[in-house]
Amino acid sequence: MTSYLLRRAGASLVVLAMASIVVFLGVRALPGDPALALAGEERDPVALVQIREKYGLDDPVVVQYGNYVANSVQGDLGFSTRTGTSVTTLIGERLPVTLELALLAMAVGILIGIPAGIIAALKRGTAWDYVSNAFGLLGLSVPNFWLGLLLILFIAVQLGLLPASGYVPFFEDPVENLKRMIMPAFVLGTGLAAVLMRQMRSAMLESLSSDYIRTARSKGLPERQVVLVHALRNSLTTVVTVIGLQLGALISGAVVTETIFVIPGFGKLLVDAVFQRDFPIIQGAALLTVVGYIVVNLLVDLSYSLLNPRIRVSGAAS
Amino acid sequence: MRGHRRTLPTTLAAVALLSACGGGGGASSTPDGAAPDTRAVSKGGDLVLALAEDPDVLDPSLGRTLVGREVFVNMCEKLYDVDEELQIVPQLAAALPETSADGLSVTITLRTDAVFNDGTPLDAAAVKTSLDRHLSIKGSARKTELAAVSGVEVVDPATIQLTLSKPFAPLAGQLADRAGMVMSPAQLTKLGDDFGSSPVCVGPFSFVSRQAGNSIELKKSTDYYDADKVNLDTITYRVITDANVRLANVRSGDVQVSERISATDVDKVAADQTVRLVTGEPLGYQGISINIGNTAGVGEPVGKVTTALGTNKDLRKAFELSLDRNVINQVVFAGKYVPGCFPLPPGNPFLDESLTCAERDLDAAKKLIADSGVAAPVPVEMTIGTSPENLRLGQVIQSLAKEAGFDVKVKSTEFASALDASDAGKYDAFQVGWSGRVDPDGNINDFLTTGGARNISGLSNPQVDAALATSRSSIEMAERKTAFTEALKISAEERPIIYLYHQRNFLVSTAKVAGIAFYADGLPRLKTAGLTA
Repeated sequence: MTSYLLRRAGASLVVLAMASIVVFLGVRALPGDPALALAGEERDPVALVQIREKYGLDDPVVVQYGNYVANSVQGDLGFSTRTGTSVTTLIGERLPVTLELALLAMAVGILIGIPAGIIAALKRGTAWDYVSNAFGLLGLSVPNFWLGLLLILFIAVQLGLLPASGYVPFFEDPVENLKRMIMPAFVLGTGLAAVLMRQMRSAMLESLSSDYIRTARSKGLPERQVVLVHALRNSLTTVVTVIGLQLGALISGAVVTETIFVIPGFGKLLVDAVFQRDFPIIQGAALLTVVGYIVVNLLVDLSYSLLNPRIRVSGAAS
Repeated sequence: MRGHRRTLPTTLAAVALLSACGGGGGASSTPDGAAPDTRAVSKGGDLVLALAEDPDVLDPSLGRTLVGREVFVNMCEKLYDVDEELQIVPQLAAALPETSADGLSVTITLRTDAVFNDGTPLDAAAVKTSLDRHLSIKGSARKTELAAVSGVEVVDPATIQLTLSKPFAPLAGQLADRAGMVMSPAQLTKLGDDFGSSPVCVGPFSFVSRQAGNSIELKKSTDYYDADKVNLDTITYRVITDANVRLANVRSGDVQVSERISATDVDKVAADQTVRLVTGEPLGYQGISINIGNTAGVGEPVGKVTTALGTNKDLRKAFELSLDRNVINQVVFAGKYVPGCFPLPPGNPFLDESLTCAERDLDAAKKLIADSGVAAPVPVEMTIGTSPENLRLGQVIQSLAKEAGFDVKVKSTEFASALDASDAGKYDAFQVGWSGRVDPDGNINDFLTTGGARNISGLSNPQVDAALATSRSSIEMAERKTAFTEALKISAEERPIIYLYHQRNFLVSTAKVAGIAFYADGLPRLKTAGLTA
């Protein structure tokens, strides 16, 4: 297991180094001069030259990359060219917000998607199945911005039940925090619920038609035990993989929800930075996203062995 | 000496913008056609104002965005401000500037009761510190605005004298914007180049905190010289980029004021009794810049372009004649904007009556195309923004021009990329606008002067240059108006920019909010704003 972990960590570092190059070059391949984007209406040639000089944009690309790597490994991701705020501070403020939103959305997705998928599989061909499938189709088809606006207009404007927008940190006021996160978490979670429902349904159907389930039933085990202990546990392997991958998708996909509900999250930070050609933020945020993906994928791989004893990673088995 | 000096009102920009539609009243108004909002407000209360964009750094020397000015206006006062009619009035200065007879020296007296929001007094030395910083800090956005200022001298604690390298008429207009903001020397000493992280100025509200990309908080200043008139306890600016979401938030009461309501939502908002609409008359313009000589980039010598529209001014005339500004306004903006064909909105006192718009004339446009020898349809690639409103505008222009024989390809491009391409001269036509400045110089000179910082069209015309140079050096309004008129008449023949319309600013608030001063410059002044009991 140790050697497996070391191998994975080494591979992850290589991926990280390659990703940093891709991110760095990708940012610079974007059309649009960051100095011009920063200057906005107030652009004049002298100011543009000074802006490029101030942020090192006139240095050779190799020098810029060297500075970026040297500073990054020391935890210094630079300063926003637009607001002058430290990128590390910005990410530190924004990431927990998006993580909270993503986790709440995941909770919504799991609470709706997995039971719906199980029911659809157990009641295959019945009205339950059709309703679950219809829900799945709807969840995948309805755009977040439309659903978000609809909820704001109905629940916040018409009924006045929840605030329309804004964010209050959880540790400042937990009740207010949850009141403001319910709608966005629901909007973001519906897509995931649909995906999980479909995955759960097909995985359960596959498990339920397996030999070991037939064996379990022939041994006289109660149906509840057959479903929950044997079929569900094996089906969850696939679903956990999807959840792991979807966490990244939730974080990156949260931007629309964050924009509509005015939540100062990580996704919005990154997208705003792209539009403003704020290179330090784009690089810092993208790098952190890469790290996040690597860690989550590693955790997902490790969780396989816990959920399914038949799966053994090669390093651990030897 | 004093006998030779002239004060501002008779010499510099005293711009009173009147409604283009003849009935709109002055530079700003409360709900369309209604009387000014004089409802009594109570002391105290918190107000949340939704901004359409995140301001850039809150440093008067470095700030470059309109939204940044919207925040500054409530926490960083200037030597001069504008009133409802956009006339320049003293703010931190005690009187309008006095200009020497040769126009090379400007004396400014300061009010003596102003105190920065850190408790330190404002005096001439503080003003000099700020002006020197504007002129010297790396990346200063004010350096060009104050380019004519060659020296700043403290005469006495309440008087400052600016020495100019040449007469510069727009100076007062510049000092009524960020170039005239005075920063606390104590805070500058403490934070240096990082002043924008915690700005301290003189203002009705003081800076509390900022969460970049999300919110900015201000609180009522206890040091402000006019604190009795300030009602609100706090202001929170919240960044809400989507216009629909901004409006929904006002309706739900989560924010009390929102800027930039879509023109197509105005009628709906005006009919809603739970909210109030405030209209600001236009100051800037929107148009189509055409590349007629920008081959090497802005500021570089002009060259020969190869596009049909860029090489042939008769085709540009035909293109303009194919467009119907009223149709554009009605179809895209529900008739809420002001059609116009010059960089100054109709009614601007600097816009001479002899400058009139040509009506749509398809026959004339077709004849010009036929006479040009260019085979129809004439190809035009028009770069435009990515918003739904931009796309509608592009489609209407495309459709109108097609009837005359133009094949307009609408190239929807994200703004930073479009700006880069236009500055580099890699475009044919670009639908773009300008937010506008109080002095007409700000809407005209840099766009039409050879080598001008915003001359993306590459216009280079010695007569235009000469007329615009006169407009800057002359300090008599009549002379300046004549010079602007001459420049605009010549450029109207060249058509580096086909002006289309002037945007009004629409502000919406909950019914409880009163006392907002909202002028044509689009900045919500909240000094006297409050919540009704």
